[in-house]
Amino acid sequence: MKVSRNWLLDLLATLPPADALARQLTFAGLEVEAVEFPGARLAGVVVARIIAADPHPDASKLSVTQVDSGAGQLQIVCGAKNFQVGDLVPLATVDAVLPDGTKIARATLRGVDSEGMLCSARELGLADDAAGLLLLPANLTPGTPLAEALGLDDAVLEMNVTPNRGDALSHLGVAREVSVLTGQALRQKAPEVPETSEDVHAAARVRVEDAVGCRRFAARVVEGITIGPSPEWLVRRLQACGVRSINNVVDITNYVMLELGQPLHAFDLDRLSGAQIVVRRARAGERLTTLDGKDRALFAEDLVVCDAERPKALAGTFGGAESEVSQGTRRVLLEGANWDPVTVRRMARRHQLHTEASHRFERGVDVAAGPAGVDRAAALMAELAGGAVRRGRIDVYPAPAAATVVRLETGQVSRLLGAAVAESEVARILSALGFVAEMQQSGATLWRVPSWRVDVSLPEDLVEEVARIRGYDTVPATLPALTESLKPEPLAVEVERRVRNALAGAGFDEVVNYSFVDPVLLPQVTERPLEELGTPVEAVTLKNPLSPQQSVMRTSLFASLLPNLAHNVRQGQESVRLYELGRVYLRDPEGGVGLRPVAREPVRVGGLLWGRRLPRGWTGGEAVNDFYDAKGAVEAVLRALGAPTPSARLIRRAPYHPRASASLVSGETVLGTVGELHPAVARALELPKGVQLFELDLEALVRVADVVPRLRALNRFPAVLRDLAVVVPETERAEDIRAVIQEVGGPLVEEVLVFDVYVGKPLPPGRKNLAFALRYRAPDRTLKDDEVQAAHAHIVEEVNRRLGAELRT
Amino acid sequence: MRDRLEGLLTSAREEVRRAADAAQVETLRVRYLGRKGELAQVLGGMGKLSPEDRRSVGEVANRVKAELEALLAGAVRAVEEAALQAELAGPPLDVTLPGRQQPSGHRHLVSRTLEDVIRSFQRLGFDVFTGPEVELDALNFEALNIPADHPARDMQDTFYVDAPWSKAPADQVLLRTHTSPGQIRAMRSRPPPLRIVVPGKAYRVDSDATHTPMFHQIEGLLVDRGITFADLKGTLTAFVTSFFGADRKTRFRPSYFQFTEPSAEMDVSCGTCAGKGCRVCKFTGWLEILGCGMVHPNVLTAGGYDASQLTGFAWGMGVERIAMLRHGLDDIRSLFENDIRFLEQF
Repeated sequence: MKVSRNWLLDLLATLPPADALARQLTFAGLEVEAVEFPGARLAGVVVARIIAADPHPDASKLSVTQVDSGAGQLQIVCGAKNFQVGDLVPLATVDAVLPDGTKIARATLRGVDSEGMLCSARELGLADDAAGLLLLPANLTPGTPLAEALGLDDAVLEMNVTPNRGDALSHLGVAREVSVLTGQALRQKAPEVPETSEDVHAAARVRVEDAVGCRRFAARVVEGITIGPSPEWLVRRLQACGVRSINNVVDITNYVMLELGQPLHAFDLDRLSGAQIVVRRARAGERLTTLDGKDRALFAEDLVVCDAERPKALAGTFGGAESEVSQGTRRVLLEGANWDPVTVRRMARRHQLHTEASHRFERGVDVAAGPAGVDRAAALMAELAGGAVRRGRIDVYPAPAAATVVRLETGQVSRLLGAAVAESEVARILSALGFVAEMQQSGATLWRVPSWRVDVSLPEDLVEEVARIRGYDTVPATLPALTESLKPEPLAVEVERRVRNALAGAGFDEVVNYSFVDPVLLPQVTERPLEELGTPVEAVTLKNPLSPQQSVMRTSLFASLLPNLAHNVRQGQESVRLYELGRVYLRDPEGGVGLRPVAREPVRVGGLLWGRRLPRGWTGGEAVNDFYDAKGAVEAVLRALGAPTPSARLIRRAPYHPRASASLVSGETVLGTVGELHPAVARALELPKGVQLFELDLEALVRVADVVPRLRALNRFPAVLRDLAVVVPETERAEDIRAVIQEVGGPLVEEVLVFDVYVGKPLPPGRKNLAFALRYRAPDRTLKDDEVQAAHAHIVEEVNRRLGAELRT
Repeated sequence: MRDRLEGLLTSAREEVRRAADAAQVETLRVRYLGRKGELAQVLGGMGKLSPEDRRSVGEVANRVKAELEALLAGAVRAVEEAALQAELAGPPLDVTLPGRQQPSGHRHLVSRTLEDVIRSFQRLGFDVFTGPEVELDALNFEALNIPADHPARDMQDTFYVDAPWSKAPADQVLLRTHTSPGQIRAMRSRPPPLRIVVPGKAYRVDSDATHTPMFHQIEGLLVDRGITFADLKGTLTAFVTSFFGADRKTRFRPSYFQFTEPSAEMDVSCGTCAGKGCRVCKFTGWLEILGCGMVHPNVLTAGGYDASQLTGFAWGMGVERIAMLRHGLDDIRSLFENDIRFLEQF
């Protein structure tokens, strides 16, 4: 909302400068986002009188004028023709900068000196009229700054009023705050309404059929009106607040709303059938053409202001075209009603309307303001539109609201703030804000809340009132005692930290993606049996997504990582290692009861590797990421967690390549999966081949993590190294052979390492050579040569026997 | 025999002088001093000498042997020194070539900022608590004192979820608009006193240079007996000192949130200009960092706590905004594009 400082000066005797005022309001809870000075762009432009004008000796289109600038006579060359000697016009003096950036300088135009520029309205940015000089009212004095002469020497505060402070959506409301902050009384006088002898009740009747929606309906009738333009001062004030002038009657209703916060509506009384107002809910099939020309079907819950026959306005939201004030309007019924916030809010939403009126009613308008509003507007219509105001006021108020009373304990303000605030200060501040001490009880005061403060109902609200007026800076800063609330850090937090560090160490860049993804991805990327690849996936779906591409919650981190790959490949990346640690979202048929969440949201660690293993470079080599890079990354994660190396089993699951994917299991715990993206999925998603992926479950990682490992004593006896190479069918698994070696070798075999895998000549097709490095060591003695020899021979024999391997040495 | 010994010495001197490298020196050593070397051969004839001759020849032989040994040791040192000098004098490496590539990944700005914020609050005794993102209206709004049809809901345009599988009432499921429902879940599942932070994702229907439909918040809640607004100021100021640095100041402005009363916004003095005013702080000298306030009694009650016995404060902040201020980003959307060239800068 925009607030004019000049307007506030109608209501307050003095005001701080605009910037100081803005600061004071902001620190009392009425945030001023910006201060504008509408007159600033007219600096250096003054009122000047034309005292002589002669044709230019050398240019038929120009005149040479002599003007009284207030500070002496100046000669100005001018191209306009629409003036006479004696007229007052704007003069941009030398060094002034016009709104379009033109800087005024002394000039010589075809041999004639010119010491300034006479301006049109457009040149000053005041209007679009460029036809000639802006002719000013005759009562101005030459030399007066133009901004002052036009009432533009104002400061406009752009305020961001929080939804609780509907009372501050007016100049009166802001002035009330300022009066408390500056310790001065408000200059508010009840309007004097000049009334005729004819009773308002004889001209119109008001019936409220829905007392829930309409708390109060006040009305005045003004007759003999002449519709016309508003006076300049009124137009300027509306302009300052960003409201366009329409005509005097409409402008007055807007003016009073901006001044008092009470939205008003002016009906053309002659267009109200039966000269009556009926407030009720809309009936089936009823329609209303609103002021924007839209013909709207009404909903049964809509609250409408009707005449004897049909709806004429959406209550507190938008007027109807039929009863609109127009050029021929002579008699006006002024509505100053108080509408139920929820009713207005729902109606405005249903019709996708947000008006100045609905904005205020949704936040709550002072129930006492309706009568004051119609009085003020009627008085202005008498003054500015030649209207005659009928005697009296209609005021339908079916259930007068009882004032809210709040019990504030003695010392409660100090206790909640942690600052010593004297009771006398509490009372002084609350009284200044309009609260009335109704009764002193033992140890408490009952405060009656003023009708405009619809946001106050609890003692904590009163504490805030005191705190914000005193200033939050008056409250000290203390640290609360650390009581038994301290808990150990959850293991998951440490596990997440280690996972992140391990993956960073393995060259993975972390990504964070939107949780909602394109639904076409899910059938491709969700992990499940391979036969189901491409079939629909049940996911958590948004009702109102921003776009169809962001409409389902991901069921796999691959739905995020694969598009990340596509983006980076498009950007020319040749080596991609990404991971995300985040949630996936799965339907939970048992969810939504009590504290049980509606969806299961397990945290996963997803990784993607593609392209060069190392960035291009003279030491990088040409190798590309393969399955074993992905598996190695997972193993690095598990090492970082102190967890044992998991065992891998070949799987046939989407979205993986059935020949190059595995589940990873540690003991009983399934950790997740790793593998190459299925070529069909890569093709469907237009991704390159050879994408390696993994996805691990964080909760499973927490289960296998050992973040505080116990020391294993170092074996100080020398180790003996022996190699073992076997030729086996290609389908034979290294892990099985290793297990045999370990089992047969027993405790003497400290470590078994695969150090070479070879396929190709001279081996026959379908066979591979696996080479193991064995480290023998006894815990209690130095092994003898023949001891190792015997053990090794035994292993060779057993491997041979059990696996049908051929020994190669 | 003496002449042979002296001759040996002379020829050795000559040959050692000509030896060019360690291998040749070694060959000479073997030839002259080896077990079957020339010296040994000469001395092999000593047995035939008379005792007198044997003594005098022995003296000569010992002197010759010592001189040969010294000669050869010197030769070894000389060729080693020559080799070292040759090695040092060779062509230098091209030190301008890039170093050998090590794999190195990068933390995402948002997750790292979040972790830093969490760590600062952990130092103040706060515990991490998490809640679901697919949430119930009752916990996201109602329990936080935001009834249906309240204008405060305008501040949080909501994504709703179609949840036919859920036992929750239809049109009641949404993506949480803030991390605040975590407050309710924490109170309902833990007895007081409570001192938690709730980090995580939140969602609002919004998308421009300063808003993304998903963003991260971190929420805090402290409830105990006798907690005051002064405690709120002290705790959050301590956080600012811990996270931003001891030279940063705070100020508190009244504000409005449904779930707190009194409510405040906390500003931190601008780190770019030290509070003097610059483009980053829009020439105010201050940065708006978080919203906070004393927990509304209705919220304590909704959490199952006794509002007549307990008070508390809560606060919430946007993680992206903090990250953007710290690192000079001006478009929040760049955080979620996940372009490697962006990720690798942090």
